[in-house]
Amino acid sequence: MAGEDAAVLARLRAGDQAAFRELVRARHGALLRLAGTFLRNRASAEEVVQDTWLAVITGLHSYSGEAPLAAWINGILANKAKTRAVRDGRMVNFSALAQAEAADDPFEPERFLADGHWANPIRPWAAMTPEREAGDREMLAVVAAALETLPPAQRAVVLLRDVEGMDSASICATLEITEANLRVLLHRARTRLRAVANSAGNAP
Amino acid sequence: MLTCEQVAAQATDYMEATAPLPRRLGIWAHLRICPNCREYLRQLAQTIGLLQRSPTPPPDTATEDALVALFAAQPKRD
Ligand SMILES: [Zn+2]
Repeated sequence: MAGEDAAVLARLRAGDQAAFRELVRARHGALLRLAGTFLRNRASAEEVVQDTWLAVITGLHSYSGEAPLAAWINGILANKAKTRAVRDGRMVNFSALAQAEAADDPFEPERFLADGHWANPIRPWAAMTPEREAGDREMLAVVAAALETLPPAQRAVVLLRDVEGMDSASICATLEITEANLRVLLHRARTRLRAVANSAGNAP
Repeated sequence: MLTCEQVAAQATDYMEATAPLPRRLGIWAHLRICPNCREYLRQLAQTIGLLQRSPTPPPDTATEDALVALFAAQPKRD
């Protein structure tokens, strides 16, 4: 466990309310977004996040500290969200989605010549230079908005892998998909998001 | 030698280190001589960086206060 996490955990275990408030501020929105992977219904997602916080509070003393704090909380949330989705009869079949999204996705943003070279040179993003922080902020917003428009299985893998930094095995177990599914979904999603960022990054 | 199109198609496997070693070496060799593919992979990495920094809204005050109250009501162990 990182030193920062250990310090936060010690404060939480000591009943430090300010530490808990900080944790809630930092992670509540992310948990809601994660819950949305399994639960379309906003009220259900909010309830599951609430249940997750309660489990965090009561589990603080039994948490081994092996996984990073955020990962531990994410794991609790994923379990609860899945259980809730099954109970509501709304469990998303990511394996079926993965196959469907791979089969009929006509999106091919990259252009190549017949000999396999890029049709157009790949230009660095003007908006990402250190001098242009505003551009950077705009790119953050553009990519965050594009994430929400991805097909559901692609959104799920990007959220778990790239945003939350989960390892591949845990993602496959959580979403009940194969490693091959994961790679294809991740590739399509990242390709798509890069294309969106590219348009914003080189906008005049 | 791999083409740019092949490199782009395997960019995620390369970045996730899931491509077999000979493939990774082939991509690596291509990247050494191809500025376009280098920039393409850099942009994929930058996109992931943007995702990691994408902000989420904090909870509203009432929700936050209710959760902190729940935490405060928990009996202390120490
Ligand atoms: Zn190339």
